[in-house]
Amino acid sequence: MVRMKKHRRDEWIHRAQTVLKEKFGHDQFRCGQQEIILDVLEGKDVFAMLPTGGGKSLCYQIPGYLLNGTVLIVSPLLSLMEDQVNALRSIGETNVRALNGLIHPHERSRVLAHLSELRFLFISPEMLRGSTIRAALAKITISLFVIDEAHCVSQWGHDFRPDYLHLAEIRTQFGHPPCLAVTATADERVREDIVRSLELHHVSQTLMSVDRANIALVVQRVATNDEKVDHLCHLLENTRLPGIIYCASRDWTERLADYVRRKLGLRVAYYHGGMDPVDRRKIQNQFLDSQLDLLCCTNAFGMGINKPDIRLIVHFHFPATMNAYLQEIGRASRDGKPGLAVVYYAKQDEQYPEGFIDGNFPDDEILHRSLSELDQGLLTIGNKEQFVSSLLERGVSESAARFIYEKVQNKPIHCTYLSIFDQCKAVINKRKAIQLQDLSVMRNYLTSTNCRRAFYLKVYHEHQPAQKPHNCCDRCGIEFSDFRQTESTNKNDTERHGQILDWKKRLQIIFKEGERADAPIRNKRV
Amino acid sequence: MYCDALVLYLIHQFRGDRTISGIYHLLKGKKSSQSVQDSYLFHVKPFFHSCDDLDRHSFQTLVERLNVCGWIQSAGSEQMHFILSTEGERQLTRFDLNKLIPDGLCNTDQVNDEGNFWLKLQLSVQTISALQYHQSAFLPITRQPSVTESVRKRIMKASLNRDQLASQLHHELHQLLLPIPLTEADLFAAQLTGFRMTGLTTSQIADSTGKDPYECRILFKSALRRIMKEVAEHKATYPFIAGLMKQTASTLSLTAGETFHLLKEGLSLQQVAKRRNLSVSTIEDHLVEITLKERNFNSSDFLSHELEQQIVETANQLNTRQLKSIKNQLHDEISYLQIRLALAKNTVQKGSLLIGENEETSKR
Repeated sequence: MVRMKKHRRDEWIHRAQTVLKEKFGHDQFRCGQQEIILDVLEGKDVFAMLPTGGGKSLCYQIPGYLLNGTVLIVSPLLSLMEDQVNALRSIGETNVRALNGLIHPHERSRVLAHLSELRFLFISPEMLRGSTIRAALAKITISLFVIDEAHCVSQWGHDFRPDYLHLAEIRTQFGHPPCLAVTATADERVREDIVRSLELHHVSQTLMSVDRANIALVVQRVATNDEKVDHLCHLLENTRLPGIIYCASRDWTERLADYVRRKLGLRVAYYHGGMDPVDRRKIQNQFLDSQLDLLCCTNAFGMGINKPDIRLIVHFHFPATMNAYLQEIGRASRDGKPGLAVVYYAKQDEQYPEGFIDGNFPDDEILHRSLSELDQGLLTIGNKEQFVSSLLERGVSESAARFIYEKVQNKPIHCTYLSIFDQCKAVINKRKAIQLQDLSVMRNYLTSTNCRRAFYLKVYHEHQPAQKPHNCCDRCGIEFSDFRQTESTNKNDTERHGQILDWKKRLQIIFKEGERADAPIRNKRV
Repeated sequence: MYCDALVLYLIHQFRGDRTISGIYHLLKGKKSSQSVQDSYLFHVKPFFHSCDDLDRHSFQTLVERLNVCGWIQSAGSEQMHFILSTEGERQLTRFDLNKLIPDGLCNTDQVNDEGNFWLKLQLSVQTISALQYHQSAFLPITRQPSVTESVRKRIMKASLNRDQLASQLHHELHQLLLPIPLTEADLFAAQLTGFRMTGLTTSQIADSTGKDPYECRILFKSALRRIMKEVAEHKATYPFIAGLMKQTASTLSLTAGETFHLLKEGLSLQQVAKRRNLSVSTIEDHLVEITLKERNFNSSDFLSHELEQQIVETANQLNTRQLKSIKNQLHDEISYLQIRLALAKNTVQKGSLLIGENEETSKR
């Protein structure tokens, strides 16, 4: 019996490795992947924690080619979904589609009409709540139910999504297919929440270390902004790129980009949420296509960005949580080569995360006024967008508006809105306390006198690795020369194409056409 | 700098009758009847929707700078209403007004469609380039469902192979860009995205050409409008690109067009509002837009000839386009709607939509 099982497992390994080689062009699984994939193939429920850049997607992509039916992937972020669909298309997969609030009704009908032919279907949790879509999905064979960014199910998590709470029930409706829940970072409390809420009984858990040994960590303490900019310029002149510089405000991204371009002549752009959507997409594509050396951005950039050769991540301002920090530096060197993460820390920077935390919630006055206006009928709930936008008009921040929506929606019918005021306050205080706690962990990281890596591994209750990486952190000492720009990394021709301003030349390259005579008009039926 | 002259010119045209936001909305091309109407009233139609990617913050910074320079000042006691100072007037005369408005900018017949058309064109170019280079996946320049859907349809309908598609679209674009000023053509093409060659943003083009971002936006719009005019007039010459344009010629917004249709059937404003489930004031906005844009529309049901004369005279006397001042001067039976209609009709009759024909400008 045991032998049979062993035999089957060996066969799965063999088949999984064949797919890995033929479809994805890799020779070997990365740490943890094989174990997760095998558990999935054997029909177990699996919870997997892999660090950012650890190859999460492969864990459901490979089973997609070995199991019968459709792999359904619940994904909370549109950009992430788009990137994943794109990644599959670029290896030649045509049976992959996405269903989210942004697609055209025609596309939606096309997807629903061909559901059973799909190998992969990405879906937003909001879409899954629609009864038509659920009924259509209940009719097909779902081979695997994947919950991406599974930490969204936990109220402790920073990205809590109420729609995630219905996933267990939905899975039952689909005939209880095996479930794979994946996330990059979740502490013990969040992990327990995920397993309980998704009802993953007898779950097989694979927890990979959050450590990315190939990324060296530096904290640079500075007194003033001028000093910070000087240090940054020196760093940029002497370090391998491309790189990302994270800033706390939109204004800073623009100012830094401008300054660095003038001073160092690098190809640099800025990116933030206030830009025109088409411009944002252009900058993103330029960065992916290596038309840029450097991007100054807010934390709006990065979700779903899959560029393996980013060599430098700078935090011009530090983020509010250790979680966010690891996510952001995790975008460096996904190809396994050495990467460098530098955070500049000035005492006065603490205003940013503190302000950010306050802005997440309504203050007493706004909360009181909104609730009374609801009671008086001056404000109505309607749907989520309407409610949020009418609060925005009243000067409430977006996350605070969402918080109010979440609370008033669940008000008991017989009570007034105002009666939930104290309860809301209690929740705010609790959540704020958690976020302030997270912030103080981040601050302790920055001021710690011990090894940076040891510090964050301890935060995630992990043991120190047996051997320290050669370039560990500023406390353990690192060789900056290992990260120096080498002459051989000159930009090639395709990387310069983007800058071509001569329209005739540009069109020729875009359409891959030779020199065109101006005069003759060829008649072609279109 | 171009942007200084642009904003000084617009403030001059608006004469302090609107807040500074009125100018911002004009440049952005806000689809409210107020902005549309203002573009006619103050004879600045070419600038409507001319800087649609402008962000409020940078516009405000610019206005503050002009204020600090002492080129603009508050109009009377009203906050956020500005007029030019004497020094501002002087600064404006130093700038060649012909350079402010490139010719193409005045082709405003398809201003309602230009945003969509431009997205569709960019996506078509990107898609066909990806096909030509056998790129199996790319991140599209826009995800707007209506845009992706119609580009998809356009390409399917062409029933051409990859080479033919690329050659056709290249040919059409080449023919369109050839006759227009070189600076405009370069600026236009630099924004197009192809395989491994992502288009630049206007702010990047400004950085690499040393031009002011406002000038880049305006020159680009001029190019776009020249192209749209040429395609609309010679559809058969540009079959692929013509297929990306809206088919109806009317400049009325879709919703005002629907109201116009119902009014022609003989419904009253109230009936139209009820039928369309919109407020009466929205329908009134449509009525003003119709009066501005549809020359054969008869507004006598809403405004008698005498009343119209009276309103126009008062407006001229007070030398203002501010509805409140006009209403205060006249007796209260006259509604805001009637004042707006009278002003709208008056602008159309004068037919003076460009600079130079405006009496204020010619005085200088």
